[in-house]
Amino acid sequence: MPPGSLALLAQGAAVSLLLAAVAIVGGTLLAVLLAALAFSRFAVVRAAYRVYVYVVRGTPLLVLALLVFYAMPALDLRTGPYIAGTLVLIVYTGALLAEVFRGGVLAIPRPQWESARSLGLPPVPLFRKIVAPLVTRYTLPPYVNVCVMTVKASSVLSIISVWELTLAAREIIERTFAVFTILGLAAAFYFVMCFGIDRLGRLFERHLALKGFAGERA
Amino acid sequence: MNFGRWVAIYGPTYLTALGWTAVTAVGAACGALIWGCALLLIRLSAGRWGARGVDAYVQLFRNTPVLLPIYLIYFAFPMIGLPWPAVVCGGLALILQNGAYISEILRGSVNAIDRVQFDAARSIGLAPWSTFRKVVLPQVLVYSIPALGNQTVLLLKDTSLLSAISITELTMQAKLLTEQTGAAYEAFIVVALLYLLLVSGTEVLFRVTHRAVRWR
Repeated sequence: MPPGSLALLAQGAAVSLLLAAVAIVGGTLLAVLLAALAFSRFAVVRAAYRVYVYVVRGTPLLVLALLVFYAMPALDLRTGPYIAGTLVLIVYTGALLAEVFRGGVLAIPRPQWESARSLGLPPVPLFRKIVAPLVTRYTLPPYVNVCVMTVKASSVLSIISVWELTLAAREIIERTFAVFTILGLAAAFYFVMCFGIDRLGRLFERHLALKGFAGERA
Repeated sequence: MNFGRWVAIYGPTYLTALGWTAVTAVGAACGALIWGCALLLIRLSAGRWGARGVDAYVQLFRNTPVLLPIYLIYFAFPMIGLPWPAVVCGGLALILQNGAYISEILRGSVNAIDRVQFDAARSIGLAPWSTFRKVVLPQVLVYSIPALGNQTVLLLKDTSLLSAISITELTMQAKLLTEQTGAAYEAFIVVALLYLLLVSGTEVLFRVTHRAVRWR
């Protein structure tokens, strides 16, 4: 193994994880807002939601990233690849998570809505006490899937010169030609991050499970 | 420059690139389906170690980004005496990864087949291979069409990553045009629209196929 490459790859992995973490936090906030739009009373707002999801999910992440990367300097926003990359990753993760949350809201059983209404719950407690806890539990497995996808998607940002794990690996390979070792190590780093997130998600799922609640394992 | 005029001038230059995207996507989708079926066959027939091997393969590809196999094949194959064209290397990487996902999709559908059918197949004397080919596979493929459609859309979008190994598909073409013309966003908006068109077309194709062949 070329000397020093392990440390470089570990730094790259840290950057990848940081990018993904920011995108997941930002994307989750964005997705909650978007999912609220999906249930708006106005048809125009619902249509806007559908267009957003359709466009972001129907275009490759790389195309969105390159679009923002090239367009931002033209709009006199000299922000560099990190801001552009993070923004695009948030937009992308937000669209995926919005669909996840929308599905979760649709999965809430009707009697829950009816009893909430019959109790006269105002909107904020309704969201805090009924919608949020249920949607969290319904959507945790797909949510974790999207988190794993976000870690993997962050590798695409290497193409707009965001220095993270994949770009670190590529640079070392171009210098040393140690293709198998370096890509194998990079794959190991990604595997640990993604598999780790997956396992953490499962632990959390068990932690949140409500004993005896319909649809949950007792 | 005005967007309409830009499209009128540079629009035709996208055609070859569109062809490359279509060819790699269709080729890789067919290859991935065949590889996914092969992985399923190994899982079902090669005993416990076969199933574990397929599991390990699937986990590896599910937890690493596609760019890594793309770079691995593109950079490593010339070193081991296989100077394949970039398109073949990229296509092979897409096949290896999507095959892993497809084998999982198909496995889910195998569980949807009624157990009685396996007993029935055995009682009329079908050999294991014939059971797989004539009883299991046709049903599994039909059940899986919607999920395979989703996977094909993901694969289609992932062909954009082949621009990183210098294949002039749509994304690369947009990048080249941006750098040649200095137009900041026109090239990529055209390409985004083309991808949306391809993705929607793929979705419609799978929906129509599913409606045509499913059992009622």
